[in-house]
Amino acid sequence: MSGVWTIFRRELAGLFLGPLAWVILCIGFFSSGYFFVLGLAATDGDVMQSLSLALGGGWPFWALLIVVPPLLTMRMVSEEAKSGVLEFLLTAPVGDLAVIVGKLLAATFFMALLLSGVLFHGALLSLFGVSPDWGALVLGFVGAVLASGLFCALGLVFSAATQTPLLAAFLAFVANLALLTLPWVADFRGSPPGGALRVALRQFDVVLHYQGSFLRGVLDTSHVVFFLAWTAFFAFLATRFLEARRWR
Amino acid sequence: MITVRNLTRKYGAKYAVEDLSFHLERGEVVGFLGPNGAGKTTTMRILAGYLPATSGVAEVDGLDVLRESLAVRRAIGYLPEAVPLYREHRVREMLDFQGRLHGLSRADRRTRIPAVLERVGIAERIDSIVGTLSRGQRQRVGLAVALLPDPKVLILDEPTSGLDPLQRLEVRKLLAELSSERTVLLSSHILSEVEAVCPRVIMLRRGRIAADGRQEDLVRRLGGAAFVRFEAFIGQDVAAATRSIASLRGVRGVADRGRLGIHHVFEVQADEDLREDLGALALQKGWAVRELSWSRPTLETLFARIALDLDEKERAQRIEAPAALVAPTPHTLIELPLSGLSATRAASSPEKSAVPVAQKKVVYNLNPFDKGASRDLSRPKAIDDAPVPLPPTAPAPQTAPPKSDGTDPSRCERP
Repeated sequence: MSGVWTIFRRELAGLFLGPLAWVILCIGFFSSGYFFVLGLAATDGDVMQSLSLALGGGWPFWALLIVVPPLLTMRMVSEEAKSGVLEFLLTAPVGDLAVIVGKLLAATFFMALLLSGVLFHGALLSLFGVSPDWGALVLGFVGAVLASGLFCALGLVFSAATQTPLLAAFLAFVANLALLTLPWVADFRGSPPGGALRVALRQFDVVLHYQGSFLRGVLDTSHVVFFLAWTAFFAFLATRFLEARRWR
Repeated sequence: MITVRNLTRKYGAKYAVEDLSFHLERGEVVGFLGPNGAGKTTTMRILAGYLPATSGVAEVDGLDVLRESLAVRRAIGYLPEAVPLYREHRVREMLDFQGRLHGLSRADRRTRIPAVLERVGIAERIDSIVGTLSRGQRQRVGLAVALLPDPKVLILDEPTSGLDPLQRLEVRKLLAELSSERTVLLSSHILSEVEAVCPRVIMLRRGRIAADGRQEDLVRRLGGAAFVRFEAFIGQDVAAATRSIASLRGVRGVADRGRLGIHHVFEVQADEDLREDLGALALQKGWAVRELSWSRPTLETLFARIALDLDEKERAQRIEAPAALVAPTPHTLIELPLSGLSATRAASSPEKSAVPVAQKKVVYNLNPFDKGASRDLSRPKAIDDAPVPLPPTAPAPQTAPPKSDGTDPSRCERP
């Protein structure tokens, strides 16, 4: 477990030692502020609605989740494999799973930092006397972090499976897009509201799981489990790919 | 400390390492040699727990590297060939990371990191960013990273590549220091280094062990025969000259290396230094000597033999060579002038060609600074006064019998 913490610290430091993290943070904070102001104006000052817009209620959030996690995770395994550092890491006294989990936590922590702009906006509003529903806001934030953890894990899978960071980022991007648009298949096939296909695809509907609970301020463990389970599955998959590198 | 049994590793259908077995005692320093692609790095990676073996057993300190991987990784310091370091971090941070991975306490890290950097001689770059260091400096930092947890076993893949000669000397010294308390397995393509650091050498060829043992033993056993290179103007009758040389006592074979201008080159194989005998022969025959030197096998020649499969090639050549050249017949025995340098007397004594007489090993005082003042140069000094009986009629062919198995080129040994 101390291995996970060590790897986590190293990865986070590594992220901030490169320019990419700063660029993403800059663009992320700017756009979240921009959409917050835009939301406030569009909803005639509805605080909660404009805040939830930045937390999964609107497309900018999901666009962020499609684009940023692949950029964070693309280098984490594939570049290390290229530079040989992976050989150091895989001969250090930490398990493969600890390596992946440490990296996953680092990427997820960075996403949480990126999304924390919403909490800042909420604090700003309460400073001016319009206090948002903090319970709902924090729960929405937690849900957003859980969702980004899922996408980071998916990104790590491709980073562990490919040889170059660029390919890893591209494949992860495509996979993210596919994951988000998978539920649309039911619409294309004209499946009825209670149809088997629609019910089955609901199990993969990230947006629905997120918007259905966290954004409404309802903490439903089944939805928490949904995110954690998929994240764990992808982390496991990434670990297997990492192990497979030893056999090649 | 390190035990490897029947280790095999395949990449696809290709064998990188095949049926490797060796054992390292505690405190032993062993050099891994072999041409590129011989399987050195693969073996080291398996021992370090980076690669799993296809089959076979690898144990470090009694722990299986596959089943108790983490314990093994804690016990060894491994420096891969690529010197993996996070380029964006500072040297101190890199070492700190390694310390944390190995569970060193904060106090331990604080004292050990400067100490280990001091030991590899790069203490002044502790706050430099790894990416700005030169190749040699990075190599040292890599060594420091491997040494930081104070491992019982060190596995170093080309630890001195990229270092300048001075640094190499320092690393060599460092390794010598370390070897007193640790088991070290290191690979290198710099032979002089292995020669200086490792008493024991394991040579790999195409994924198999070609030689394993103490350096001197290996060189003596497998390095090929020692020979005297003899270059002289011998006139036209090369065959007669060859026969004369071959008849010298102790000669195992004479290889005719052809003409070099007006001079002829021979390589006379023998266990001992036959320069003096050859010199005396040349004097007797009136040959103008241009070169007379003794070449002994070194680790380098051994390495070359193994790397280039010289054994097989030479064996093929030997079969072509006519046996008459190397097997002297009794009637062409040349007597060494026992009673002085007068060649005519020795050659003209008729009974000597008829009956092979026991020869004495004689040594002339050839010290050029001596000018013969201290000793009567007209008389050779016998080092062995007891006559050595020769076989009465046909002396056994003085070439060694053909080798029976392919692994031990011991044909140069006396039957």
